[in-house]
Amino acid sequence: MRFSIKQTGCGGERIGYLTGFIRSPGAEIETPTAALFTQGGSVVNLTAEVLSKVFSNTKLLWLPLSNSINLETGVKAQNDGVAKFAGLQGHVTCATLHSLSEDTPSGHFELDRAPLWTKNGKRMVSADRYMDVMEIFKPDIILAIADGRTSLNEGSKRISKAVCRSNSMLKTCVNRYMSSKELQKSSLIGVVVGAGNPKKCDESLRNILTHVDNLTGISLQGILDGPEESRDIDSETLKKLFEKVGEALPKDFVYILEGNWNPSIILTAVEHGWDLFDGSYPLKLTNTGVAMKLNFDVTKENDTLYLLDMVDERYKADLKPILEGCECLACKKHTRAYIRHLLNTREMLASVLLSIHNLHHFDQMFYHARQHIASNTFAVFKQHITKQCEMVKDFPPNRYKGSNGTNIPTENQAPNIKRRNL
Amino acid sequence: MVNTSKALTFTVQSECKHSRARVAIMKLPHYDVQTPVFMPVGTQGTMKGLLTDQLENLNCEIILGNTYHLGNRPGVDVLKKVGGLHKFMGWNRALLTDSGGFQMVSLLKLAEITEEGVKFRSPYDDSEIMLTPEKSIEIQNCIGADIVMQLDDVVQTTFQDYDRIKEATERTSRWLDRCLKAHKRPSEQNIFPIVQGLLNPELRRKSAEEHITKDVNGFAIGGLSGGEAKDDFWPMVSLGTEILDKSKPRYLMGVGLAIDLLVCVALGVDMFDCVFPTRTARFGCALVNKGQLNLKQKQFESDLNPIDSDCECTTCANYTRAYLHCIVSVETVACHLISVHNIAFQMRLMRTMRENIKQGTFPKFVKKFVNEIHPDKNFPTWINNSLLSVGINILED
Repeated sequence: MRFSIKQTGCGGERIGYLTGFIRSPGAEIETPTAALFTQGGSVVNLTAEVLSKVFSNTKLLWLPLSNSINLETGVKAQNDGVAKFAGLQGHVTCATLHSLSEDTPSGHFELDRAPLWTKNGKRMVSADRYMDVMEIFKPDIILAIADGRTSLNEGSKRISKAVCRSNSMLKTCVNRYMSSKELQKSSLIGVVVGAGNPKKCDESLRNILTHVDNLTGISLQGILDGPEESRDIDSETLKKLFEKVGEALPKDFVYILEGNWNPSIILTAVEHGWDLFDGSYPLKLTNTGVAMKLNFDVTKENDTLYLLDMVDERYKADLKPILEGCECLACKKHTRAYIRHLLNTREMLASVLLSIHNLHHFDQMFYHARQHIASNTFAVFKQHITKQCEMVKDFPPNRYKGSNGTNIPTENQAPNIKRRNL
Repeated sequence: MVNTSKALTFTVQSECKHSRARVAIMKLPHYDVQTPVFMPVGTQGTMKGLLTDQLENLNCEIILGNTYHLGNRPGVDVLKKVGGLHKFMGWNRALLTDSGGFQMVSLLKLAEITEEGVKFRSPYDDSEIMLTPEKSIEIQNCIGADIVMQLDDVVQTTFQDYDRIKEATERTSRWLDRCLKAHKRPSEQNIFPIVQGLLNPELRRKSAEEHITKDVNGFAIGGLSGGEAKDDFWPMVSLGTEILDKSKPRYLMGVGLAIDLLVCVALGVDMFDCVFPTRTARFGCALVNKGQLNLKQKQFESDLNPIDSDCECTTCANYTRAYLHCIVSVETVACHLISVHNIAFQMRLMRTMRENIKQGTFPKFVKKFVNEIHPDKNFPTWINNSLLSVGINILED
């Protein structure tokens, strides 16, 4: 895979292209953009048929092993990669150990192995085992295995171990990468960890620089340990972190930020040169019965909340679409009243329609961000979106603030379907 | 009898020369439906996570909604404001709603049946609701389905008390008159009477003979498929189709297993509904000619075949059994994918039957189908007897 920067804005923001995917030669992904979050290899709530109605172009799929390791036997038998096995051939995939926004137990690390929390419990994974799975899954982008789930206020001993472990795992990943023709068809991404401790973080950055020739980019971890509370990080702290990492590493790297960040933080990262996001934000909204409707028009002041709690009684007889003028399938055909009814009756179509809308709308946000970068007006756009994010600081539903999605109204009726925390 | 109402015209195109099977076009206000037809059930104004566009792609021409549930949620006021269920759910083809009477059986603990109607205690808010024939039709008029069902007095199929069955059967006829009287939209909606009488031929005959005297555009056969023996089931269907007007559609309620569809089409039934294909999908079971595959089973772990290589659905075109095995009962997408296949399976079976009836090869098709399921020719008596009763001998080649 090649990453080429097409244009940079006034700040650090830039428009780039991911091309030259060896397994999907024609594919082209324009950045900044968000991946589509997958579970069990499928874009959550959407079959390939429905996905093709939402997006006609190639999309990047975010594939955490924690929810897809059970595909291994089948992918191996088919021997054509995980995207093909999941019915999504033609799309490109980015595999990682965990979703950074999952709530998982802390600790449980061993000297050279990281815990993989699946729905069937814990599995210990070494860097070698991780790369074995990557050889089978054949994703287009591989995030190196790392101990990245530490919060900013983590103790220095824990951070120190995380950095040390991640460094040694990266070394193994790079060695395996270098010695496998199959793995070299993918791009390897280094993981920056230990952000809570400047010295240790520097160590992590230096280590990544030693492998710079074999890496295509980095992902910034070591900010969150999963739980929702750790997500209340002020944007100043993050800005400094983005600056620090951006200055230490090559500009032509792809910069990835994982986690369930709101649009304001995402655009702050974009402003500092970040290119890819994991797509967990719209999924979290969908899982909690919330629809997003940012106003992208910088010439218009916005005085309504950009999040709609679709479970609310007030939409019971509301015959408007979620967002007037929205081109998504859900808005073109269905009313708020219908979606509210589906949530109220716990019908699976509620999550489908909310996914369709939220994914489309989130994608539109990146489209507009790129347009503004191209016309050197990104700062205005970011300001416009940040204002709207500030308005929803006290967005009411508790389940939205809650640490996980276990009491969500969109829980479908299918028996035995456990929704993973996100 | 000539159909005078515009809300339904039923034109028989071909008839099987041996059995009572026939192919027809049932012209409804929202769609021209080809019969025999299977109608998937979308209880609460949605079909198990599928978009209405997907249902159209699957060639669904008519689907079911459930009056009792829709009357509660979203409620009559919302449906009135939207202009009916078609608009509410974004479905432009035909709809059929049941009367809410079936819930008497499924929610019996909550219901008290009198001559006036059925008194329910709402499972949603514990309030008391009186469902009378007039009320049922009022709600159904508001939902706006192309076909609406009369409120009937439903008794569990395996119920034994003759007096209660007789009472229910006769009450159903009295309620039919009340429903027809209360009907406000006869030019846009058709009320179907329901033949009752459980497994008693005499009561069933009386019920059917009474119903055919009414000014209606089609009939339903109810009170079956409730756990009775198959040998008791088919003669009741046969009795119904024998008496009911041949020039009008006949709808057998609650039947949807492949072999049942096959036999009952041969007996002259035109319409079917059943929750089975979509319900079983939620448990990871995919329909195939020989029955169903439980995709959870370990044997599918590395099986790279589609569910059915002859199936043209988007699931079979794109997904292997091995992949579905990994995600059934874990991801909602698995329900959607198997529901798509199972509905496609039902649609294909009905289409194949229609084609064979048109080409005059229906008996041959029936024989092939039952032999595939029972290659040892050890046919259950009811299959053998029912088909023999309409001139198809599956034992001879």
